[in-house]
Amino acid sequence: MEHEQHLALLGASAQGDKQAFSKLYHATSKQLYAVCLKMLSSKELAEEALQEAYVRIWHNASEYRTGKGTVLTWMVSIVRYRALDILRYHKIRKEDELVENESFDLDTSEKISDSEQLLLDKCLQQLDLQQRQAIYLAYFNGCSHQEVVKHLNNPLGTIKSWIRRGLMSLQSCLTP
Amino acid sequence: MNYQSEDLKNALAAEYVLGTLRGPARQRFQKLMMQFPLISDATQTWEQHLNGLGQKIPPVTPDIVVWQRIEDQLGFVAQPTKTNVVAITKSKPRIWQSIAGLASAAAIVLAVLLFSFQPPLQPEVQQLALMSNEQADLLWALEIGADTISVQATKKLIAKSDADYELWIVAVDGRPPISLGLLPKVGKLVLSKPQLFDQIEIAALAVSLEPLGGSPNGSPTTVLYTSELVIL
Repeated sequence: MEHEQHLALLGASAQGDKQAFSKLYHATSKQLYAVCLKMLSSKELAEEALQEAYVRIWHNASEYRTGKGTVLTWMVSIVRYRALDILRYHKIRKEDELVENESFDLDTSEKISDSEQLLLDKCLQQLDLQQRQAIYLAYFNGCSHQEVVKHLNNPLGTIKSWIRRGLMSLQSCLTP
Repeated sequence: MNYQSEDLKNALAAEYVLGTLRGPARQRFQKLMMQFPLISDATQTWEQHLNGLGQKIPPVTPDIVVWQRIEDQLGFVAQPTKTNVVAITKSKPRIWQSIAGLASAAAIVLAVLLFSFQPPLQPEVQQLALMSNEQADLLWALEIGADTISVQATKKLIAKSDADYELWIVAVDGRPPISLGLLPKVGKLVLSKPQLFDQIEIAALAVSLEPLGGSPNGSPTTVLYTSELVIL
């Protein structure tokens, strides 16, 4: 449902329909903003990432391909890449300001009807706790390997291996 | 190194999407994506796998200024569709006036040049409009005759292939803009002139950017340029 609405709005945006793009923004920006705010921990930088992401979405609206995830997933990819660029550009260190435990108050109440999300939840739960923590720190907080090392107090080699093995387990679980 | 090896390709794509592939390795990977479609496919698959995670964070409403900045950056604000009709209902809309003022000054200069250097216009030409961009490059010259509007696209026009340009009457009385048809992207085109053209007071002619085939809803989508009419 949500995806079909987004798809219609994105399609119209690709044709230059500004009102559709405005609707798409207002339907999706809360989620994209949450993603980049969490990664950048700064209102100013998160707003910068969000703005750049939507400018890109407007210009590249016709590049979305059905079958490569939902429209929202595609848009989250775009805003995360912007946020990662900003992290790198500003050389932001994610060492001090993070909460030490796995306190990701994940929103599992909504969108439960989405089968992709359900499968993702199931597969994430199958990971070892340490693998999941390491992946969450990298994904949600934009931590580098070194920064994950500082948070989880384990050697770099161990962290890299947790992430790599976690990702591969995730893939085999997610791939039909 | 065999970058196309399945495992390596996959592992790199995963860490690229996750964000843990950093520094020069990240830049190298971006180049590899451009070179090898299989690598960019793998990356897209990982985007699909991982970026569902982004939907698990509780949403946060961004400040309203962000949308305003996006509109500014994309040039939505100068010619918003919504306020377009409203603006024209006022007797002398400021936006049209200022653009038209500039355009008319340029138009007169250009009109003089045009008449000095070009063969005489056909006798039935009654009015003239010259559509120029912000850099004052003349893009279309319009000759309004008794029953026709003859439009010549100039070499300065770099037309988008995935869009059309539509010509509109902006009436002084504030009625919604009236379409005169699509403009040529190259060469000359003769449009038929509606009777209404001589029956209403015209504030300006406007050019809008439209999806191929013209405005989907009968009103201009993105107004690009305007020109007042020069009466001969």
